[in-house]
Amino acid sequence: MAAPMIDPELFDQLRAKIEHDTVIRKELDKIVDDLSQAVSYTQGLLSRIHSTPRSKYSTLLPQIEEGIKKEIENVGTLATFASQHPYYKYNYKWTRTVQDAIATVLLTVWLGGRSAESQVGEVGRLLKLEDIGQVFGVPVNLKDQDAFHITIEDYLLGLIAIVEDLSRLAMNSVTLGDYDIAVRISSFIKDLHAGFQVLNLKNDILRKRVDSIKYSLKKAEDVVYDLSLRNLIPAKMEE
Amino acid sequence: MSGFKRDRHGNAKRHDGPKPSPKKIERNAFTPMFEQLRDELDAHHDRRDRLGKASRDVTALSKKIIFSLQRVREIDEQLPQDIQTEVDSRLAEISKLLATIAPEVQGVNRYRYSRSLVCLEELVEAMTFHHYLKTQTLVKPEQLEPMMRLLVQQGPVAAEDEVMANTSTEQPVEKTELPTIGLTDEDYLYGVFDLTGEMMRFATTTSALTGKLASRGEGEDARNIVQDMHELGSFFEMLPARSFTWEKKLEVTRQSVQKVEKLGYDLKVRGSERPKGWVPDLSSGDQPETED
Repeated sequence: MAAPMIDPELFDQLRAKIEHDTVIRKELDKIVDDLSQAVSYTQGLLSRIHSTPRSKYSTLLPQIEEGIKKEIENVGTLATFASQHPYYKYNYKWTRTVQDAIATVLLTVWLGGRSAESQVGEVGRLLKLEDIGQVFGVPVNLKDQDAFHITIEDYLLGLIAIVEDLSRLAMNSVTLGDYDIAVRISSFIKDLHAGFQVLNLKNDILRKRVDSIKYSLKKAEDVVYDLSLRNLIPAKMEE
Repeated sequence: MSGFKRDRHGNAKRHDGPKPSPKKIERNAFTPMFEQLRDELDAHHDRRDRLGKASRDVTALSKKIIFSLQRVREIDEQLPQDIQTEVDSRLAEISKLLATIAPEVQGVNRYRYSRSLVCLEELVEAMTFHHYLKTQTLVKPEQLEPMMRLLVQQGPVAAEDEVMANTSTEQPVEKTELPTIGLTDEDYLYGVFDLTGEMMRFATTTSALTGKLASRGEGEDARNIVQDMHELGSFFEMLPARSFTWEKKLEVTRQSVQKVEKLGYDLKVRGSERPKGWVPDLSSGDQPETED
C-alpha cells in the first residue's frame, strides 16, 4: 500500500497554526486600537499648547499626564500579550501607534510635564530611550530576549514627530507673546538636527523623516529671525 | 558593480574599507546619545547586510540543486549518482554559509531579519523537491528540522575538510555548538507552494521523455504525479488564506495543477496512438533522440 502523498495529520497541524495566528492578529488589532484611542485623546489635549500661554501649563499639563497614564496602561496590556510571541513577527501592527505614544511623552516632558516637583518643570528636558522605557515600564533595545520592548527606531521616529509640532509652537507662542520659548525651540531643533546627522542612515523611513527636520528647522529659525529683527529677543536668553 | 560612490568632496566611500572619516559636526548636549544610537544602528545594518549576502548565495545554491534535480527522470529512492553528488556538493556549500549566519539569527533576531532570509524558502523548495523525487511524498516541517540542524552543524566540518558532506549517510558528525536555524511556517508553506512549480516541470519533462506519468510504483495503488498535484492543490485550497502573497502563490499553483492535468489527459488519450518509443518534438529544452 503506497504511502499517501501528504500525511493526513499535516493538514490539521498547519490549519491549527494558521488559525492560531489569525486569532493572535485579531487580538493585537484590538489592543492596538485601544492604545491608538488613548494616544489620539492625549494628542488632542496636547494640541491645546498652541493656544495656551505657559502660565496656564500648570492646569493643562496634569490633564495631559492623565492621558499619558492611559497610554501607559494600554502599552502594558500590549506588552503582556505581545511578549508571548516573537516580537518582530507582529511589531508592524503596533510600531506606528507606539511611536505616537512616545511622541506625546517626549513633548509633554519637554514642555515641563511629568517633572519630579509638584509644579511644572523646566522647559527643554529631552528624555532618552532608556527614560522612555521607564515611563512605559518596558525594556528598550532588547537583544538577548524575545519580548516586547521599545526599539531605537520607534524612539527616533517618535522624536522626529515632535519636531514639527514644536516648530509650529514656536510661531504660535510668539503670537501669544512668549518669545522666550520660540528661541529655545529653535535652538533645540538645531541641536537635534545636528544630532541626527551623526547617524549613518540607510534609504529607509528613518532617513525620509530625518530629511523633513530641516523644514521645521527653517520655520523655527525664521521665527527667531523675525524676533531678532525687531529686537524682541529677551536679553537674558542664552543661545 | 564597479567603482565607488563618492561624497561631495570627491572622496570615495568604501564600504569594505575603513569607515569614512567622521563628519564635521558641532557637538552639543545630545551628541553622545546620538553616537550611541548610531553604533547600535550600524551594528544592526551590518548584520542585515551580512545576512543578505549569505542569503543570496544560499538562494543561488538552492536553485542549482533544483536544476540538478530536474535532470532526474524517475522517482526513486536512489537518485542517479552523478546528480546526487552534485546535490551533496551544493548542500555542503550551503552548510558552510548557514553555519556562518546561524549564531546571528537566534532568539529575537530570527524574525528581526526574516526579510534578509528569503533563502530559507528557496532551500525548503529544494529539500522538499529532493524528498519528493526519492519518496513521492511531501516532507513535513518536523522532518525538515533535523535536516536543517544537520546542515548547520556540518558547516564547520565541511569548511575544514573540504570533503563533500553527504547528509544522508550515517557518518558520526562531530556535534558542534552551533544553534540550528529555525524554519518559520511561511518558509515551509511558501517553499511548498513553489515546489508545485518544480513538480509541474518535472512532470512535463518526464512524461515527454518517458511517455509515462512520473510514479514510484507500478501496482494498482501506485499514485502518479497528476494525483499528487491534485492532492497538493486541494491541500492548499483548503487551508485558510493568509495574505496577498498566499493568494498569488495559490494562483500559480492552480496553473501548475492544470498544466499537469492536461499532461495526464494527453497521455491517456494519445498514448495509445503513439508508436512504441516515439517521443514528441519539444519546442523548448533538450531535443530527445527518437528511436526508429
